[in-house]
Amino acid sequence: MKDIMGLIYTGENDARLRELTQVRAVAALPVAGRYRVIDFPVSSMVNTGIRNVGVITQKNYHSLMDHLGSGKEWDLHGKNNRLAILPPFLTRENIGVYNGLVDALQSNANYLHRCRQEYIILTTSHFIINTDFRDMMRFHAEKDADVTLLYTNDPAMRRVTQGSESTFFTTDSNGRIVGMEIDPTTPTREHTVIEVCLLKRELLLHLVDQAAANGQHEFMRGVLQPLINDGSLHVHGYEHKGRVWRIQSVQDYFQFNMDLLDSRVRGELFSRGYPVYTKLRDDMPTRYVGEAAVTNSLVADGCVIEGKVINSVVFRGVRIAKGAAVRNSVVMQDAEVEADAELDCCILDKQAVIRSKGRLIGPPAYPIVIAKGVVI
Amino acid sequence: MRKKQCVAMLLAGGQGSRLGILTKHMAKPALPFGGKYRIIDFPLSNCSNSGIDVVGVLTQYQPLELNAYIGSGSPWDLDLTNGGVFVLPPYVKGKSGEWYRGTANAICQNIGFVEQFNPEYVLVLAGDHIYKMDYNAMLTYHIQKQADVTIAVLEVPWEETGRFGIMDTDEWGRVVKFEEKPKKAKSNKASMGVYIFTWSKLRHYLERDEADPKSSNDFGKNVIPMMLGENQGVYAYPFEGYWKDVGTVESLWESNMDLLQQPMPINLDDKRWRIYARNPGMPPHYIAPGALAANTLMTEGCEVFGEVRGSVLFAGVQVEAGAQVLDAVVMPRAKIARGAKVQRTIVAEDAVIGPGCLVGEPEGNIAVIGPGAVLAAGTVVLAGEQIEAGRQC
Repeated sequence: MKDIMGLIYTGENDARLRELTQVRAVAALPVAGRYRVIDFPVSSMVNTGIRNVGVITQKNYHSLMDHLGSGKEWDLHGKNNRLAILPPFLTRENIGVYNGLVDALQSNANYLHRCRQEYIILTTSHFIINTDFRDMMRFHAEKDADVTLLYTNDPAMRRVTQGSESTFFTTDSNGRIVGMEIDPTTPTREHTVIEVCLLKRELLLHLVDQAAANGQHEFMRGVLQPLINDGSLHVHGYEHKGRVWRIQSVQDYFQFNMDLLDSRVRGELFSRGYPVYTKLRDDMPTRYVGEAAVTNSLVADGCVIEGKVINSVVFRGVRIAKGAAVRNSVVMQDAEVEADAELDCCILDKQAVIRSKGRLIGPPAYPIVIAKGVVI
Repeated sequence: MRKKQCVAMLLAGGQGSRLGILTKHMAKPALPFGGKYRIIDFPLSNCSNSGIDVVGVLTQYQPLELNAYIGSGSPWDLDLTNGGVFVLPPYVKGKSGEWYRGTANAICQNIGFVEQFNPEYVLVLAGDHIYKMDYNAMLTYHIQKQADVTIAVLEVPWEETGRFGIMDTDEWGRVVKFEEKPKKAKSNKASMGVYIFTWSKLRHYLERDEADPKSSNDFGKNVIPMMLGENQGVYAYPFEGYWKDVGTVESLWESNMDLLQQPMPINLDDKRWRIYARNPGMPPHYIAPGALAANTLMTEGCEVFGEVRGSVLFAGVQVEAGAQVLDAVVMPRAKIARGAKVQRTIVAEDAVIGPGCLVGEPEGNIAVIGPGAVLAAGTVVLAGEQIEAGRQC
């Protein structure tokens, strides 16, 4: 896999994630007890054999940089090929604020020119999949495609978030995309795009130059759709048969975590042979003190649990004191639930503290978010 | 190589024969401990946290697992340009080569390694003890006392003095008498197997010890008594805190159980003195509806559908519905099938306890299920029994 590199864009619109993305990019959002969203695309790339990965950052990228560090945990700390964090910067043409993926790629064209790989896998960071891109690459070569897009037929993914380039398409019998719609009121095309795109690096640079010259900012709408419509580019669709989630709202975030309480789902997402790597903390194992009552829950290392935990995801270093009850909730790292406090349908961000006897019951459809470090 | 003030030499060649089948294919320092650690994580993390960044690990017995585990040393921040961790197996020199004959001989065979760093002091460590210790504080003590060798000592209960090397000291901490496993001890200060030598002195004594054909080339038996006999500055450094030699099946089980006490006798949650370990990269552990985890230490990757009480579960352990795990130590990736009951037992890595098995007893010795052993459904294992894997090499 010397001839392919990865590039991850982390500047998606995150308004609907509210407090959760106030202090971080979607890519840096803690999920599944011990991971961040970006661990999934980066690990997929690494498990595919990719050794060179660029991460384009936009806003609040401090926590993302802190998380990725030198890329050591992903074995991406080589000399020639490695993890490169690409923060925005001021140039004559650009003030460092990207209006879309095309802007971001254009700003980082120098980096892309310097890379030596023939192919590139370009992704955004709000999709969660764990896969091996080798089959997609084989398909790309077989079909002699210019561009291959990953798609899913999962009905749960047929949702449109206006302004986020929710993209749907149909293919001919050969798998070539013949029609594409972006942000429709109701999708009519059968396949839903997962934002993973495979093409030659030189072609990407060429397409970006062209689109920028025409004043386009968005990749799907500005680059791919016109070229699919006029038939000048062979764009193929490749189906991802595994699970996929899109994290665009608090509900998406909550649902993804809750889905992982199903052993079958967990078995698929964390299948053996495809480990998901993440930054390590060297916490001690979790301690269950006395008759802690834990049921249907995921618990990471470093916790001390004396109370009740039901249908919840508990991150590293959490404290749940005696008499406390946590139900249907997501409790991020180092949060604390003190004695006799009660939580239902809540998302506790990092280091949040619920004081003794506090009671927070959220509606299941709209979980309460307690922001990072808040003490209630 | 740049000069270093102090270089650590970690003796990790011990077979640990009293651990039976647990150490048949693995050196004792590589044994899993405490849910997510291996024994060697403790001295290595102590070095890292003490600012000692050159560690030679002397291996000899079944080194594969240990070598792979240490790797580049990155889990302990010991993958450095100037220094780091070095695995030092015995090697052929000139016409002959030989195994490490004793603890002192092992260091003697690696004088060349130590000299590369031109250190003033050498810290000699055992690779099979569980403790947290600031070696830098001990080094400061050694320098203050202008000692030739400083030995860390721990006050042990008087009735146990017969198991240790006992130091008799004067009021300034200088050792006046050293007795190996005395019948009638005058002091209860036991050697912890942690030494700091002034390197020039150590080198001198190693060479003399080597020249003596009658010597068994051991620090405790030969080198320290010789230094004492020649009136060298031998000092005892008092250590307080948790320290455990995990030399036997019982003590390995006991020291794991110690971690379940409230508060933990050795704080593994100390953010300023973390114990580092290589991480297998598994998702958080899962506790199913109807399952129970009481007074238990559990790490990532476990899937618990049964009942777990008073136990230590390592990464990736599976406990099926209806299974009971009581006062047990269950090492990585082992599986306890439905309806099995495991009590006062050490279940080694990758072992499978079949459905309905009855392993261990509420009293008596600790049962051991060896690495990769597979127990057929309904097998009964009595207290103190050791079951080895069927496939052997």
